[in-house]
Amino acid sequence: MGEVELSCLAYAKMYLHASQFPRSSVNGLLLSSSPAGAAVCITDCVPLLHSHLSLAPITQLALTQVDVWCSQTQQRIVGYYQANACVSDSSPTPCALKIAEKIFEQCNNAVLLMIDGEKMFPGCRVPPIVMYERKDARWALKDKHTIMLRQWEETCSIVNQLFSSGDQTLLVDFDSHLDDITKDWTNQKLNAKIMELISPANGNV
Amino acid sequence: MRDKLRKWREENFRNSEQIVDVGEELINEHASKLGDDIWIIYEQVMIAALDCSRDDLAWSCLQELKRQFPDSHRVKRLAGMRLEALERYEDANKLYDSILQDDPTNTAARKRKISILRAQGKSSEAIRELNEYLEHYWECFLCSPFFLSLSFHSHSYAKAAFCLEELMMTNPHNHLYCEQYGEVKYTQGGLENLELARKYFAQALKLNNRNMRALFGLYMSASHVAASPKVSAKVKKDNVKYAAWAASQISRAYQMAGRGKKENKCSVKAVEEMLESMQITMS
Repeated sequence: MGEVELSCLAYAKMYLHASQFPRSSVNGLLLSSSPAGAAVCITDCVPLLHSHLSLAPITQLALTQVDVWCSQTQQRIVGYYQANACVSDSSPTPCALKIAEKIFEQCNNAVLLMIDGEKMFPGCRVPPIVMYERKDARWALKDKHTIMLRQWEETCSIVNQLFSSGDQTLLVDFDSHLDDITKDWTNQKLNAKIMELISPANGNV
Repeated sequence: MRDKLRKWREENFRNSEQIVDVGEELINEHASKLGDDIWIIYEQVMIAALDCSRDDLAWSCLQELKRQFPDSHRVKRLAGMRLEALERYEDANKLYDSILQDDPTNTAARKRKISILRAQGKSSEAIRELNEYLEHYWECFLCSPFFLSLSFHSHSYAKAAFCLEELMMTNPHNHLYCEQYGEVKYTQGGLENLELARKYFAQALKLNNRNMRALFGLYMSASHVAASPKVSAKVKKDNVKYAAWAASQISRAYQMAGRGKKENKCSVKAVEEMLESMQITMS
């Protein structure tokens, strides 16, 4: 199928989310601000839950709210990510498949991304992700060569910088938002910090 | 520092990095002043050290405890936990089996064995073992939160519901259990379960009117019941009322939260639009 590009912003937030809750499964949605086409450009993500991923009400609520926010900000939901509590198991759970199916109903090149906990150590040369796409009515592993992470080294260094400056604690997921609704699950503050770190690397002003 | 550790122990916090920081300093610099407290601190720091992959610290704590309590089952369990952290599951199981041979009612050892199954991804076996244990020692309500998380993990909603029923019986003022029960019933689906869910979300709100999950849960379950073609006009009317009440509470909470904070405008707007759009589908 088509190519998938994963932006630094989306990757960094997913990584921070998984690191913030090392003992739980976490999940979230992958968003794109690019128009629909053959290639999928994942430009951002929304971290959702870190507890009881398989319970329906909060998941439904989160999906609805993110949907609304996306239509307000010209983005689309193009995928789903999950990191399992059990580090050695990066296979999609039934709830991951269910949510991915729902997304596929609206977006026919949706992706399912599983974070591989065993590769989440400093200095790992390979991105800790496993991607699935919909093929012949099932979710199949995507060919690694069609997945692009531009400027991988810079992305790793940005993630390290976030950890050393303590900014990784800025990440808010939907679960944390429900515990305290003054917290912003769209993560405007953290997004701004990450974009600041990205600009010098791109040479953009 | 001692008081901090005691507080974290009593409230079961799993802030392992902090425990290691505080505990290591306490043990290295002030051991002589701790008296008998030192043993429970060694235990607490050892477990936290395992959580942070500090095997060096865990090992030294374990040695001190072994020296002081050479035949203790409690210390043996800690040795087992260290083996688990090193993923030497067979060795850990052997240790726990030897504890159970001496004392078949030892809950801690049973729990650890079941945790190993879970860590190995064998959830259904883990649930089976726990079922068996609960059959013989059903007074063990302390197992329930553990059983609960296993049930969620393996999508066994009926078991989760049963577990929560026990927890609600022994903790009638805990709003979290009511709310979680509502979520499980909602997930199980069907008109009866949705109505039950709504009742338990309402109960959770009675116990804690700031539980946002319960508020949203009440809104969503009442909306679904009202929208069902199988309900009578009266039930529909009642549920529309409940949903409207919940919606107004949600709006109010978000207005207050959004005041003066620019970044919250996004979430406030999203909630407002969501409530509007769900209203349309209900009528």
